[in-house]
Amino acid sequence: MAAIQTIALSRVYHSKTGVIRQQKKDIRALEEVNLEVAQGELFGLLGPNGAGKTTLTKILSTILLPSSGDARVLGLDIVSQARAIRPRIGIVFGGERGLYWRLSARDTLLYFADLYHVSPEVAARRIPELLELVGLSGRHEERVENFSRGMKQRLHVARGLINDPEILFLDEPTIGLDPVAAREIRRIMKDLNQQGKTIFLTSHYMYEVDELCDRVAVLNKGEIILVDTPGALKSLVSDLEVVEIEVIGAQQDAIERLRAHEKVVSLQIEPRDLAQALLIQAPGGAALVGDFLTILSGARIQRILTRQPTLEDAYVRLVGPEAMHT
Amino acid sequence: MKFKSALRALLGSFREQAISRATDNFFIGTLFIQPVLFTLLSVGIYRYGGKPDLSLYAVIGAGMIGIWNNNLWTSGSIVQDERRGGTLELLVAAPTSLEIVLLGKSLSNAVASILALAITFATGLLAYRLPLDIEQPLAFAGAVLLTLVAMTMLGLLLGSLFVLARAAGQLATVLNYPIFILSGLTFPLTVLPLWIRPLSYSLVSTWGNLALARAAGAVAQSSLWVTYLALAGLSVLYFILGHYLYRLIERIVRERGGLEQW
Repeated sequence: MAAIQTIALSRVYHSKTGVIRQQKKDIRALEEVNLEVAQGELFGLLGPNGAGKTTLTKILSTILLPSSGDARVLGLDIVSQARAIRPRIGIVFGGERGLYWRLSARDTLLYFADLYHVSPEVAARRIPELLELVGLSGRHEERVENFSRGMKQRLHVARGLINDPEILFLDEPTIGLDPVAAREIRRIMKDLNQQGKTIFLTSHYMYEVDELCDRVAVLNKGEIILVDTPGALKSLVSDLEVVEIEVIGAQQDAIERLRAHEKVVSLQIEPRDLAQALLIQAPGGAALVGDFLTILSGARIQRILTRQPTLEDAYVRLVGPEAMHT
Repeated sequence: MKFKSALRALLGSFREQAISRATDNFFIGTLFIQPVLFTLLSVGIYRYGGKPDLSLYAVIGAGMIGIWNNNLWTSGSIVQDERRGGTLELLVAAPTSLEIVLLGKSLSNAVASILALAITFATGLLAYRLPLDIEQPLAFAGAVLLTLVAMTMLGLLLGSLFVLARAAGQLATVLNYPIFILSGLTFPLTVLPLWIRPLSYSLVSTWGNLALARAAGAVAQSSLWVTYLALAGLSVLYFILGHYLYRLIERIVRERGGLEQW
Protein backbone atom coordinates (compact mmCIF):
# COMPACT_ATOMS: atom_id res chain seq x y z
CA MET A 1 0.00 0.00 0.00
CA ALA A 2 1.29 3.44 -0.95
CA ALA A 3 1.63 6.00 1.80
CA ILE A 4 0.12 8.66 -0.46
CA GLN A 5 -1.74 8.26 -3.72
CA THR A 6 -3.55 10.86 -5.78
CA ILE A 7 -5.57 10.29 -8.93
CA ALA A 8 -6.50 13.24 -11.15
CA LEU A 9 -6.60 15.49 -8.10
CA SER A 10 -7.72 19.03 -8.90
CA ARG A 11 -8.47 22.09 -6.86
CA VAL A 12 -10.14 25.32 -7.94
CA TYR A 13 -10.33 28.46 -5.80
CA HIS A 14 -13.19 30.84 -6.42
CA SER A 15 -12.54 34.54 -6.01
CA LYS A 16 -14.41 37.75 -6.77
CA THR A 17 -13.14 40.89 -8.42
CA GLY A 18 -14.62 44.39 -8.44
CA VAL A 19 -16.85 46.11 -5.92
CA ILE A 20 -20.13 47.10 -7.55
CA ARG A 21 -20.03 44.81 -10.55
CA GLN A 22 -18.54 41.77 -8.94
CA GLN A 23 -17.18 39.12 -11.21
CA LYS A 24 -16.41 35.59 -10.18
CA LYS A 25 -13.05 34.21 -11.12
CA ASP A 26 -11.86 30.62 -10.89
CA ILE A 27 -8.22 29.95 -10.10
CA ARG A 28 -7.06 26.44 -10.89
CA ALA A 29 -4.46 25.67 -8.21
CA LEU A 30 -4.08 21.96 -9.01
CA GLU A 31 -4.74 20.25 -12.32
CA GLU A 32 -5.22 16.47 -12.49
CA VAL A 33 -2.35 15.61 -10.17
CA ASN A 34 -1.30 11.96 -10.15
CA LEU A 35 1.25 10.95 -7.54
CA GLU A 36 2.31 7.93 -5.55
CA VAL A 37 4.60 8.07 -2.54
CA ALA A 38 5.86 4.81 -1.02
CA GLN A 39 5.96 4.14 2.71
CA GLY A 40 9.26 5.20 4.26
CA GLU A 41 10.10 7.42 1.30
CA LEU A 42 11.40 10.98 1.61
CA PHE A 43 9.51 12.61 -1.23
CA GLY A 44 10.15 16.16 -2.40
CA LEU A 45 7.74 18.48 -4.13
CA LEU A 46 9.40 21.32 -5.99
CA GLY A 47 7.77 24.29 -7.61
CA PRO A 48 7.82 28.07 -7.85
CA ASN A 49 5.55 30.26 -5.72
CA GLY A 50 1.92 29.74 -6.64
CA ALA A 51 2.62 26.37 -8.26
CA GLY A 52 0.17 24.65 -5.90
CA LYS A 53 2.60 23.04 -3.43
CA THR A 54 0.84 24.29 -0.30
CA THR A 55 -2.59 23.50 -1.74
CA LEU A 56 -1.54 19.90 -2.40
CA THR A 57 -0.03 19.59 1.09
CA LYS A 58 -3.20 20.97 2.68
CA ILE A 59 -5.42 18.59 0.73
CA LEU A 60 -3.31 15.57 1.65
CA SER A 61 -3.24 16.61 5.31
CA THR A 62 -7.10 16.92 5.32
CA ILE A 63 -7.16 20.68 5.80
CA LEU A 64 -8.61 21.39 2.36
CA LEU A 65 -11.09 19.52 0.22
CA PRO A 66 -10.25 18.82 -3.42
CA SER A 67 -12.57 20.08 -6.15
CA SER A 68 -12.33 16.77 -8.02
CA GLY A 69 -10.25 13.61 -8.19
CA ASP A 70 -9.24 11.19 -5.45
CA ALA A 71 -6.53 11.06 -2.86
CA ARG A 72 -5.70 8.38 -0.35
CA VAL A 73 -3.34 8.70 2.60
CA LEU A 74 -2.32 5.42 4.26
CA GLY A 75 -5.02 3.80 2.16
CA LEU A 76 -7.75 6.08 3.54
CA ASP A 77 -9.84 8.50 1.52
CA ILE A 78 -8.99 12.10 2.44
CA VAL A 79 -12.61 13.29 2.10
CA SER A 80 -14.70 10.57 3.72
CA GLN A 81 -12.07 9.16 6.12
CA ALA A 82 -10.33 12.37 7.20
CA ARG A 83 -10.95 11.65 10.89
CA ALA A 84 -9.15 8.32 10.63
CA ILE A 85 -6.18 9.90 8.82
CA ARG A 86 -5.61 12.80 11.23
CA PRO A 87 -4.20 10.87 14.23
CA ARG A 88 -1.68 9.15 11.90
CA ILE A 89 -0.13 12.18 10.20
CA GLY A 90 1.80 15.26 11.27
CA ILE A 91 1.90 18.68 9.59
CA VAL A 92 4.61 21.32 9.75
CA PHE A 93 4.29 24.64 7.96
CA GLY A 94 7.20 27.00 7.48
CA GLY A 95 7.25 30.50 8.93
CA GLU A 96 6.41 32.00 12.28
CA ARG A 97 2.64 31.50 12.21
CA GLY A 98 0.92 28.44 13.60
CA LEU A 99 2.13 28.69 17.18
CA TYR A 100 0.59 30.10 20.36
CA TRP A 101 3.10 32.79 21.18
CA ARG A 102 2.16 33.14 24.83
CA LEU A 103 2.63 29.45 25.60
CA SER A 104 5.98 27.91 26.45
CA ALA A 105 7.49 25.25 24.20
CA ARG A 106 6.49 22.57 26.71
CA ASP A 107 2.92 23.88 27.06
CA THR A 108 2.61 23.99 23.26
CA LEU A 109 3.53 20.32 23.02
CA LEU A 110 1.28 19.42 25.96
CA TYR A 111 -1.64 21.17 24.28
CA PHE A 112 -1.16 19.41 20.96
CA ALA A 113 -0.69 16.10 22.79
CA ASP A 114 -4.20 16.63 24.19
CA LEU A 115 -5.57 17.56 20.76
CA TYR A 116 -4.00 14.44 19.24
CA HIS A 117 -5.35 12.20 22.02
CA VAL A 118 -1.87 11.22 23.20
CA SER A 119 -2.23 9.70 26.67
CA PRO A 120 -0.68 11.70 29.55
CA GLU A 121 1.79 8.87 30.24
CA VAL A 122 3.02 8.79 26.65
CA ALA A 123 3.09 12.61 26.46
CA ALA A 124 5.17 12.79 29.66
CA ARG A 125 7.78 10.55 28.05
CA ARG A 126 7.59 11.88 24.49
CA ILE A 127 7.69 15.65 25.12
CA PRO A 128 11.20 15.68 26.67
CA GLU A 129 12.37 13.37 23.86
CA LEU A 130 11.02 15.73 21.20
CA LEU A 131 12.46 18.79 22.91
CA GLU A 132 15.80 16.99 22.96
CA LEU A 133 15.46 16.01 19.28
CA VAL A 134 14.90 19.61 18.18
CA GLY A 135 17.43 21.08 20.60
CA LEU A 136 15.00 23.02 22.79
CA SER A 137 15.53 21.10 26.02
CA GLY A 138 17.02 23.97 27.98
CA ARG A 139 14.48 26.51 26.71
CA HIS A 140 11.25 24.59 27.17
CA GLU A 141 9.82 26.87 29.85
CA GLU A 142 10.30 30.05 27.79
CA ARG A 143 7.41 31.62 25.94
CA VAL A 144 7.39 31.06 22.19
CA GLU A 145 7.25 34.84 21.58
CA ASN A 146 10.84 35.07 22.82
CA PHE A 147 12.10 32.39 20.41
CA SER A 148 14.19 33.08 17.33
CA ARG A 149 12.76 32.09 13.97
CA GLY A 150 14.89 28.95 13.91
CA MET A 151 13.70 27.92 17.38
CA LYS A 152 10.08 28.45 16.36
CA GLN A 153 10.61 26.29 13.32
CA ARG A 154 12.19 23.54 15.41
CA LEU A 155 9.21 23.74 17.76
CA HIS A 156 6.93 23.39 14.72
CA VAL A 157 8.73 20.15 13.87
CA ALA A 158 8.39 18.85 17.44
CA ARG A 159 4.69 19.74 17.40
CA GLY A 160 4.24 17.88 14.13
CA LEU A 161 5.75 14.79 15.74
CA ILE A 162 3.73 14.80 18.95
CA ASN A 163 1.50 11.94 17.78
CA ASP A 164 4.43 9.90 16.42
CA PRO A 165 2.96 10.17 12.90
CA GLU A 166 3.50 7.65 10.15
CA ILE A 167 3.66 10.45 7.57
CA LEU A 168 5.07 13.90 8.19
CA PHE A 169 4.05 16.71 5.82
CA LEU A 170 6.56 19.54 5.79
CA ASP A 171 5.65 22.64 3.81
CA GLU A 172 8.78 24.74 3.21
CA PRO A 173 10.12 24.02 6.70
CA THR A 174 13.38 25.91 6.20
CA ILE A 175 11.97 29.03 4.57
CA GLY A 176 13.56 32.18 5.95
CA LEU A 177 15.96 30.31 8.23
CA ASP A 178 19.65 31.06 8.49
CA PRO A 179 21.96 28.36 7.07
CA VAL A 180 22.77 26.83 10.46
CA ALA A 181 19.12 26.58 11.52
CA ALA A 182 18.14 25.19 8.10
CA ARG A 183 20.88 22.56 8.32
CA GLU A 184 19.57 21.54 11.73
CA ILE A 185 16.05 21.06 10.34
CA ARG A 186 17.47 18.99 7.46
CA ARG A 187 19.35 16.81 9.94
CA ILE A 188 16.13 16.19 11.84
CA MET A 189 14.31 15.28 8.60
CA LYS A 190 17.06 12.80 7.69
CA ASP A 191 16.96 11.21 11.16
CA LEU A 192 13.18 10.86 11.05
CA ASN A 193 13.30 9.27 7.62
CA GLN A 194 15.93 6.82 8.81
CA GLN A 195 13.56 5.88 11.62
CA GLY A 196 11.10 4.80 8.91
CA LYS A 197 8.80 7.78 8.71
CA THR A 198 7.42 8.79 5.34
CA ILE A 199 8.23 12.44 4.69
CA PHE A 200 6.45 14.63 2.16
CA LEU A 201 8.54 17.77 1.78
CA THR A 202 7.77 20.85 -0.28
CA SER A 203 10.64 23.19 -0.89
CA HIS A 204 11.99 26.03 -2.92
CA TYR A 205 15.55 25.01 -2.24
CA MET A 206 17.07 22.61 -4.75
CA TYR A 207 20.08 21.68 -2.67
CA GLU A 208 17.73 20.69 0.15
CA VAL A 209 15.74 18.39 -2.11
CA ASP A 210 18.94 17.12 -3.73
CA GLU A 211 20.47 16.32 -0.36
CA LEU A 212 17.42 14.72 1.23
CA CYS A 213 14.92 13.28 -1.19
CA ASP A 214 14.62 9.80 -2.66
CA ARG A 215 12.34 11.12 -5.38
CA VAL A 216 11.11 14.50 -6.42
CA ALA A 217 8.07 15.84 -8.27
CA VAL A 218 8.15 19.16 -10.07
CA LEU A 219 4.90 21.08 -9.89
CA ASN A 220 4.32 24.03 -12.18
CA LYS A 221 1.07 25.98 -12.56
CA GLY A 222 -0.80 23.22 -10.74
CA GLU A 223 0.49 20.40 -12.94
CA ILE A 224 3.04 17.72 -12.19
CA ILE A 225 5.55 17.94 -15.00
CA LEU A 226 8.04 15.34 -13.79
CA VAL A 227 8.48 12.73 -11.06
CA ASP A 228 11.90 11.11 -10.71
CA THR A 229 15.02 10.85 -8.58
CA PRO A 230 17.10 14.02 -8.09
CA GLY A 231 19.88 12.29 -10.07
CA ALA A 232 17.57 11.60 -13.02
CA LEU A 233 16.32 15.17 -12.88
CA LYS A 234 19.90 16.43 -13.03
CA SER A 235 20.62 14.15 -15.98
CA LEU A 236 18.13 16.23 -17.99
CA VAL A 237 20.84 18.87 -18.14
CA SER A 238 23.91 16.58 -18.14
CA ASP A 239 24.70 17.65 -21.71
CA LEU A 240 24.92 21.26 -20.58
CA GLU A 241 27.42 23.42 -18.78
CA VAL A 242 26.55 26.49 -16.80
CA VAL A 243 28.48 29.72 -17.31
CA GLU A 244 28.03 32.24 -14.50
CA ILE A 245 29.02 35.78 -15.43
CA GLU A 246 28.85 38.41 -12.72
CA VAL A 247 28.50 41.74 -14.47
CA ILE A 248 27.76 45.41 -13.75
CA GLY A 249 26.03 47.60 -16.35
CA ALA A 250 24.93 44.95 -18.85
CA GLN A 251 22.57 46.55 -21.39
CA GLN A 252 19.19 44.95 -21.99
CA ASP A 253 19.88 44.46 -25.71
CA ALA A 254 23.13 42.63 -24.88
CA ILE A 255 21.22 40.30 -22.58
CA GLU A 256 18.65 39.70 -25.31
CA ARG A 257 21.45 38.88 -27.79
CA LEU A 258 22.92 36.44 -25.28
CA ARG A 259 19.53 34.82 -24.87
CA ALA A 260 19.17 34.56 -28.63
CA HIS A 261 22.61 32.91 -29.04
CA GLU A 262 22.10 29.66 -30.97
CA LYS A 263 23.75 27.51 -28.28
CA VAL A 264 22.09 29.10 -25.23
CA VAL A 265 19.37 26.90 -23.79
CA SER A 266 18.43 29.09 -20.87
CA LEU A 267 19.50 32.40 -19.35
CA GLN A 268 18.60 33.28 -15.82
CA ILE A 269 19.41 36.60 -14.13
CA GLU A 270 20.06 36.87 -10.39
CA PRO A 271 20.63 40.21 -8.61
CA ARG A 272 23.84 40.26 -6.52
CA ASP A 273 24.28 43.58 -4.70
CA LEU A 274 25.18 46.11 -7.39
CA ALA A 275 25.92 43.42 -9.95
CA GLN A 276 23.84 40.88 -11.87
CA ALA A 277 24.73 37.25 -12.23
CA LEU A 278 23.89 35.83 -15.65
CA LEU A 279 23.45 32.07 -15.40
CA ILE A 280 23.73 30.71 -18.91
CA GLN A 281 23.01 27.08 -19.70
CA ALA A 282 24.57 25.84 -22.94
CA PRO A 283 26.20 22.67 -24.29
CA GLY A 284 29.98 23.11 -24.15
CA GLY A 285 29.48 26.33 -22.21
CA ALA A 286 33.17 26.85 -21.39
CA ALA A 287 34.06 27.09 -25.08
CA LEU A 288 31.46 29.83 -25.56
CA VAL A 289 32.77 32.21 -22.91
CA GLY A 290 34.61 34.25 -25.57
CA ASP A 291 31.36 34.71 -27.53
CA PHE A 292 29.49 35.77 -24.41
CA LEU A 293 32.14 38.32 -23.42
CA THR A 294 32.11 39.83 -26.89
CA ILE A 295 28.34 40.34 -26.63
CA LEU A 296 28.79 41.89 -23.18
CA SER A 297 31.63 44.21 -24.24
CA GLY A 298 31.23 47.60 -22.58
CA ALA A 299 29.89 46.14 -19.35
CA ARG A 300 32.12 45.57 -16.34
CA ILE A 301 32.77 41.85 -15.86
CA GLN A 302 33.51 40.97 -12.25
CA ARG A 303 33.74 37.20 -12.28
CA ILE A 304 33.31 34.29 -14.66
CA LEU A 305 33.00 30.66 -13.76
CA THR A 306 31.86 27.51 -15.47
CA ARG A 307 30.40 24.58 -13.62
CA GLN A 308 28.41 21.38 -14.02
CA PRO A 309 24.63 21.85 -13.79
CA THR A 310 22.89 21.37 -10.47
CA LEU A 311 19.37 20.27 -9.67
CA GLU A 312 18.41 23.94 -9.74
CA ASP A 313 19.58 24.22 -13.34
CA ALA A 314 17.48 21.19 -14.25
CA TYR A 315 14.53 22.75 -12.49
CA VAL A 316 15.02 26.05 -14.35
CA ARG A 317 15.07 24.18 -17.62
CA LEU A 318 11.80 22.46 -16.70
CA VAL A 319 9.78 25.39 -15.37
CA GLY A 320 11.48 28.24 -17.26
CA PRO A 321 13.71 30.94 -15.74
CA GLU A 322 10.78 33.35 -15.24
CA ALA A 323 9.28 30.95 -12.67
CA MET A 324 12.30 31.54 -10.43
CA HIS A 325 11.21 35.12 -9.86
CA THR A 326 7.50 34.62 -9.20
CA MET B 1 -11.63 6.28 26.10
CA LYS B 2 -13.18 8.59 23.52
CA PHE B 3 -14.88 10.59 26.27
CA LYS B 4 -11.63 10.80 28.23
CA SER B 5 -9.70 11.99 25.16
CA ALA B 6 -12.37 14.58 24.37
CA LEU B 7 -12.36 15.78 27.98
CA ARG B 8 -8.55 16.11 27.96
CA ALA B 9 -8.73 18.08 24.70
CA LEU B 10 -11.42 20.32 26.20
CA LEU B 11 -9.33 20.95 29.32
CA GLY B 12 -6.22 21.47 27.22
CA SER B 13 -8.05 24.13 25.22
CA PHE B 14 -9.33 25.64 28.46
CA ARG B 15 -5.75 25.84 29.74
CA GLU B 16 -4.30 27.28 26.52
CA GLN B 17 -6.95 30.00 26.51
CA ALA B 18 -6.40 30.75 30.21
CA ILE B 19 -2.63 31.13 29.76
CA SER B 20 -2.98 33.22 26.62
CA ARG B 21 -5.55 35.56 28.21
CA ALA B 22 -3.76 35.84 31.54
CA THR B 23 -0.77 37.29 29.72
CA ASP B 24 -2.83 39.64 27.54
CA ASN B 25 -2.93 43.23 28.81
CA PHE B 26 -6.17 44.08 26.97
CA PHE B 27 -7.92 41.19 28.64
CA ILE B 28 -6.55 42.09 32.08
CA GLY B 29 -7.72 45.66 31.56
CA THR B 30 -11.21 44.58 30.54
CA LEU B 31 -11.50 42.05 33.33
CA PHE B 32 -10.24 44.18 36.22
CA ILE B 33 -10.58 47.86 35.42
CA GLN B 34 -13.99 48.01 33.78
CA PRO B 35 -15.97 46.31 36.59
CA VAL B 36 -14.39 48.69 39.12
CA LEU B 37 -15.37 51.74 37.06
CA PHE B 38 -18.90 50.49 36.38
CA THR B 39 -19.46 49.69 40.07
CA LEU B 40 -18.30 53.15 41.11
CA LEU B 41 -20.57 54.81 38.53
CA SER B 42 -23.66 52.61 38.87
CA VAL B 43 -23.77 52.53 42.65
CA GLY B 44 -22.99 56.25 42.69
CA ILE B 45 -25.92 57.03 40.38
CA TYR B 46 -28.42 55.11 42.55
CA ARG B 47 -26.97 56.25 45.85
CA TYR B 48 -26.81 59.95 45.05
CA GLY B 49 -29.99 59.76 42.95
CA GLY B 50 -32.02 58.92 46.03
CA LYS B 51 -32.34 55.16 45.51
CA PRO B 52 -29.67 53.66 47.77
CA ASP B 53 -31.79 50.49 48.15
CA LEU B 54 -30.83 49.59 44.56
CA SER B 55 -27.10 49.63 45.35
CA LEU B 56 -26.80 45.83 45.44
CA TYR B 57 -28.69 45.63 42.16
CA ALA B 58 -26.17 48.10 40.71
CA VAL B 59 -23.23 46.01 41.97
CA ILE B 60 -24.63 42.85 40.37
CA GLY B 61 -25.41 44.75 37.18
CA ALA B 62 -21.83 46.03 37.01
CA GLY B 63 -20.62 42.46 37.52
CA MET B 64 -22.81 41.23 34.67
CA ILE B 65 -21.47 44.05 32.49
CA GLY B 66 -17.96 42.71 33.18
CA ILE B 67 -19.09 39.15 32.43
CA TRP B 68 -20.85 40.14 29.20
CA ASN B 69 -17.97 42.35 28.07
CA ASN B 70 -15.35 39.69 28.61
CA ASN B 71 -17.33 37.08 26.77
CA LEU B 72 -18.16 39.47 23.96
CA TRP B 73 -14.51 40.38 23.35
CA THR B 74 -12.72 37.19 24.20
CA SER B 75 -15.06 34.44 23.04
CA GLY B 76 -16.15 36.51 20.08
CA SER B 77 -12.59 36.69 18.86
CA ILE B 78 -11.53 33.07 19.45
CA VAL B 79 -11.85 31.92 15.85
CA GLN B 80 -10.53 35.22 14.51
CA ASP B 81 -7.44 34.96 16.73
CA GLU B 82 -6.81 31.38 15.63
CA ARG B 83 -7.12 32.40 12.00
CA ARG B 84 -4.80 35.39 12.43
CA GLY B 85 -2.24 33.29 14.27
CA GLY B 86 -2.26 30.55 11.63
CA THR B 87 -3.41 27.94 14.15
CA LEU B 88 -6.96 27.45 12.86
CA GLU B 89 -5.85 25.09 10.12
CA LEU B 90 -3.82 23.07 12.62
CA LEU B 91 -6.91 22.76 14.80
CA VAL B 92 -8.96 21.61 11.81
CA ALA B 93 -6.28 19.03 10.97
CA ALA B 94 -6.15 17.65 14.53
CA PRO B 95 -8.20 14.57 15.50
CA THR B 96 -10.14 16.59 18.09
CA SER B 97 -13.30 18.22 16.78
CA LEU B 98 -13.00 21.98 16.40
CA GLU B 99 -16.15 22.32 18.45
CA ILE B 100 -14.56 20.69 21.54
CA VAL B 101 -11.61 23.07 21.25
CA LEU B 102 -13.83 26.11 21.00
CA LEU B 103 -16.08 24.92 23.81
CA GLY B 104 -13.01 24.58 26.07
CA LYS B 105 -11.87 28.07 25.16
CA SER B 106 -15.34 29.58 25.67
CA LEU B 107 -15.59 27.87 29.06
CA SER B 108 -12.20 29.30 30.00
CA ASN B 109 -13.37 32.81 29.10
CA ALA B 110 -16.65 32.36 30.97
CA VAL B 111 -14.88 31.16 34.15
CA ALA B 112 -12.48 34.10 34.01
CA SER B 113 -15.31 36.53 33.41
CA ILE B 114 -17.07 35.40 36.60
CA LEU B 115 -14.16 37.09 38.40
CA ALA B 116 -15.76 40.37 37.36
CA LEU B 117 -18.58 39.66 39.81
CA ALA B 118 -16.13 39.21 42.68
CA ILE B 119 -14.39 42.44 41.67
CA THR B 120 -17.63 44.44 41.68
CA PHE B 121 -18.59 43.12 45.12
CA ALA B 122 -15.12 43.99 46.41
CA THR B 123 -15.37 47.48 44.90
CA GLY B 124 -18.82 48.01 46.45
CA LEU B 125 -17.46 46.96 49.81
CA LEU B 126 -14.31 49.07 49.67
CA ALA B 127 -15.68 52.20 47.98
CA TYR B 128 -19.23 52.39 49.37
CA ARG B 129 -18.99 50.05 52.40
CA LEU B 130 -21.78 47.94 50.92
CA PRO B 131 -22.18 44.75 52.97
CA LEU B 132 -21.87 41.44 51.10
CA ASP B 133 -25.35 40.52 52.13
CA ILE B 134 -26.49 37.66 49.90
CA GLU B 135 -29.96 36.57 50.96
CA GLN B 136 -29.82 33.01 49.53
CA PRO B 137 -26.16 32.00 49.16
CA LEU B 138 -26.91 28.56 47.70
CA ALA B 139 -29.37 29.93 45.17
CA PHE B 140 -26.83 32.62 44.33
CA ALA B 141 -24.15 29.96 43.72
CA GLY B 142 -26.63 28.14 41.49
CA ALA B 143 -27.29 31.35 39.56
CA VAL B 144 -23.52 31.89 39.10
CA LEU B 145 -23.13 28.34 37.82
CA LEU B 146 -26.00 28.60 35.36
CA THR B 147 -24.77 31.99 34.18
CA LEU B 148 -21.34 30.43 33.62
CA VAL B 149 -22.82 27.66 31.46
CA ALA B 150 -24.99 30.13 29.55
CA MET B 151 -22.00 32.40 28.93
CA THR B 152 -19.97 29.43 27.64
CA MET B 153 -22.68 28.64 25.12
CA LEU B 154 -22.96 32.31 24.24
CA GLY B 155 -19.21 32.28 23.59
CA LEU B 156 -19.61 29.35 21.24
CA LEU B 157 -22.33 31.22 19.36
CA LEU B 158 -20.54 34.58 19.31
CA GLY B 159 -17.35 33.03 17.99
CA SER B 160 -19.11 31.68 14.93
CA LEU B 161 -21.25 34.77 14.39
CA PHE B 162 -18.17 36.96 14.45
CA VAL B 163 -16.42 34.84 11.87
CA LEU B 164 -19.44 34.96 9.61
CA ALA B 165 -19.85 38.70 10.21
CA ARG B 166 -16.22 39.37 9.20
CA ALA B 167 -15.84 42.74 11.01
CA ALA B 168 -15.69 41.27 14.49
CA GLY B 169 -14.25 44.31 16.26
CA GLN B 170 -16.88 46.69 14.93
CA LEU B 171 -19.68 44.24 15.71
CA ALA B 172 -18.44 43.84 19.28
CA THR B 173 -18.39 47.63 19.70
CA VAL B 174 -21.92 47.92 18.29
CA LEU B 175 -23.25 45.17 20.57
CA ASN B 176 -21.49 46.33 23.71
CA TYR B 177 -23.60 49.14 25.20
CA PRO B 178 -27.05 48.28 23.79
CA ILE B 179 -26.84 44.90 25.55
CA PHE B 180 -26.12 46.62 28.90
CA ILE B 181 -29.36 48.52 28.53
CA LEU B 182 -31.41 45.75 26.92
CA SER B 183 -30.43 43.29 29.65
CA GLY B 184 -31.28 45.69 32.47
CA LEU B 185 -27.72 45.78 33.71
CA THR B 186 -27.66 49.52 34.31
CA PHE B 187 -31.39 50.23 34.80
CA PRO B 188 -34.21 47.83 35.70
CA LEU B 189 -36.02 46.26 32.75
CA THR B 190 -39.24 47.97 33.85
CA VAL B 191 -37.96 51.28 32.50
CA LEU B 192 -37.76 49.79 28.99
CA PRO B 193 -40.76 50.03 26.65
CA LEU B 194 -42.89 46.90 26.52
CA TRP B 195 -42.29 46.24 22.81
CA ILE B 196 -38.55 45.86 23.29
CA ARG B 197 -38.69 43.50 26.26
CA PRO B 198 -39.05 40.25 24.23
CA LEU B 199 -35.60 41.03 22.84
CA SER B 200 -34.32 41.50 26.39
CA TYR B 201 -35.73 38.12 27.38
CA SER B 202 -33.86 36.36 24.58
CA LEU B 203 -30.53 37.33 26.15
CA VAL B 204 -28.72 35.23 28.75
CA SER B 205 -27.27 38.41 30.26
CA THR B 206 -30.85 39.48 31.20
CA TRP B 207 -31.64 36.18 32.91
CA GLY B 208 -28.22 35.88 34.51
CA ASN B 209 -28.65 39.33 36.00
CA LEU B 210 -32.18 38.58 37.22
CA ALA B 211 -31.14 35.24 38.72
CA LEU B 212 -28.22 36.80 40.58
CA ALA B 213 -30.22 39.82 41.72
CA ARG B 214 -33.17 37.74 42.93
CA ALA B 215 -30.95 35.25 44.78
CA ALA B 216 -29.03 38.10 46.40
CA GLY B 217 -32.25 39.83 47.44
CA ALA B 218 -31.34 42.92 45.45
CA VAL B 219 -34.79 43.10 43.88
CA ALA B 220 -38.26 42.09 45.00
CA GLN B 221 -38.55 38.33 45.32
CA SER B 222 -40.22 36.43 42.56
CA SER B 223 -39.65 32.93 41.28
CA LEU B 224 -35.98 32.05 40.91
CA TRP B 225 -36.89 28.90 39.05
CA VAL B 226 -38.13 30.92 36.10
CA THR B 227 -34.69 32.53 35.77
CA TYR B 228 -32.95 29.17 36.16
CA LEU B 229 -35.15 27.58 33.50
CA ALA B 230 -34.67 30.50 31.15
CA LEU B 231 -30.88 30.29 31.56
CA ALA B 232 -30.90 26.54 30.97
CA GLY B 233 -33.24 26.83 27.99
CA LEU B 234 -31.26 29.61 26.34
CA SER B 235 -28.03 27.65 26.97
CA VAL B 236 -29.46 24.70 25.06
CA LEU B 237 -30.68 26.98 22.27
CA TYR B 238 -27.30 28.77 21.99
CA PHE B 239 -25.51 25.41 22.02
CA ILE B 240 -27.64 24.06 19.18
CA LEU B 241 -27.14 27.22 17.11
CA GLY B 242 -23.40 27.31 17.93
CA HIS B 243 -23.05 23.62 17.08
CA TYR B 244 -24.51 24.10 13.60
CA LEU B 245 -22.57 27.27 12.96
CA TYR B 246 -19.28 25.60 13.94
CA ARG B 247 -20.03 22.66 11.70
CA LEU B 248 -20.55 25.20 8.94
CA ILE B 249 -17.23 26.88 9.75
CA GLU B 250 -15.38 23.56 9.75
CA ARG B 251 -16.80 22.77 6.31
CA ILE B 252 -16.07 26.24 4.98
CA VAL B 253 -12.47 26.06 6.21
CA ARG B 254 -11.97 22.83 4.27
CA GLU B 255 -13.86 24.01 1.21
CA ARG B 256 -12.49 27.52 0.87
CA GLY B 257 -9.13 27.14 2.49
CA GLY B 258 -8.20 28.76 5.78
CA LEU B 259 -11.03 31.27 5.78
CA GLU B 260 -8.78 33.69 3.92
CA GLN B 261 -11.63 34.67 1.69
CA TRP B 262 -13.99 35.92 4.39
